[in-house]
Amino acid sequence: MKKTLIAAAAALTLLPGFAAAESFDEAFLKNRAMYGKGHVFEWQGNQYVTLHEEEVEADVAATADNAKMMIDKAKAKNKEVAELGFEWKLTGDILKSAEAALAEGDYRKALDLAAQAKYHARIGIQQHEYAQSNWHLSVPQ
Amino acid sequence: MKIIKNLTIGVGVALASQLALAADSGFTMATVNPEADRMALQNYFKKRFPEAEVQDYINGIYAVDADSRAQWEEIEEFPPYEFAVEEGETLFNTPFANGKGYADCFENGGIGIRQNFPYWNKEEGTVKTLEMEINECREANGEEPLKWGKGDIAKISAYMAWTSRDQVFNIDIPSDDPRAKAAYLDGKKFFYAKRGQLNLSCANCHVQGTNIRIRADLPSPQLGHVTHFPVFRSKWGELGTLHRRYSGCHKDSRSKPLKPQAERFRNLEYFQTYMSNGLVVNGPGARK
Repeated sequence: MKKTLIAAAAALTLLPGFAAAESFDEAFLKNRAMYGKGHVFEWQGNQYVTLHEEEVEADVAATADNAKMMIDKAKAKNKEVAELGFEWKLTGDILKSAEAALAEGDYRKALDLAAQAKYHARIGIQQHEYAQSNWHLSVPQ
Repeated sequence: MKIIKNLTIGVGVALASQLALAADSGFTMATVNPEADRMALQNYFKKRFPEAEVQDYINGIYAVDADSRAQWEEIEEFPPYEFAVEEGETLFNTPFANGKGYADCFENGGIGIRQNFPYWNKEEGTVKTLEMEINECREANGEEPLKWGKGDIAKISAYMAWTSRDQVFNIDIPSDDPRAKAAYLDGKKFFYAKRGQLNLSCANCHVQGTNIRIRADLPSPQLGHVTHFPVFRSKWGELGTLHRRYSGCHKDSRSKPLKPQAERFRNLEYFQTYMSNGLVVNGPGARK
């Protein structure tokens, strides 16, 4: 009986702790929303920058080859999310704009737009993964 | 050591309770129960809007919002879809080049049958919708298929709905073919899964968000969603099919919509229509 009570108390004590701990994603998104990209923030004693991995990837020399490579990667990622049925509405147009910028020789713009499109696709894939295990949460019981 | 053991048991209890929640009924092929889903949805709306009668949910948002209803009732005095229904009747009765017509393709000559759609077709192993069979009828008789979203297909569908008014939906999920239940579950999952840049599911607006403003609009309840389609939307200025509306909803949440009549959209229609079993056909409807 005593053991059961201790176990129940431990469960009740630990549960709010699980819920209250801020995940890295939560900390990142909060700082990104508050301070924009390039802001340095601290999480669990370490420092991080509010840059999406695609923005880091696009931070290369603005050349035609680099821009084309980034666009190709974004297209591939968008194809992946489209096959899952979770493509976002604006991504296709962003990719077209990236290609137009590449054709006009504005390689920096092309890199940035391709990074944005690839980010959309990556988050769409994450959304699909989340949906697989959480879709039932709003079903009335 | 004893404390560690007890803590371990405690954590176990905590995790088990979370797993028990995640394993609630109705989310897998083994546990999904369409009738329990339908009753749960009705009960949800009964609690949310105790003044609204279940049978009135065929009127969408007008079942739960008095101000919108007053405006809609004035619109219904001169229904904007009236001419389209007449055109639909003419189209329906105009023979194909081979002399046959739509009446030859459907049970009961196509009159009073809207409530039977969509249905599970065991031979083809897929959900069939009314619009799908209208186009299949055309193709089987050497005619070009119509475009899915609006125009003639919506008019013909509207006429067929008109002839079916007050017939009760009783969508069947045959128990002798597990693929039918899988299609239902797929539609259910689609309805409740968040997608698009705004991270919204159909349910976010049409279950939890019913009658809560999104800018100037009040989302309609999921219960009764399909009964009044096709609809004449003031925004469109014309009739449109259910799948046209599905596309619009997806675009609104910044998700790239599937093509009209794609398998998953048909599964969604199957799920949604099952949820409206027991309600009557009142299409075509007029909406904002």
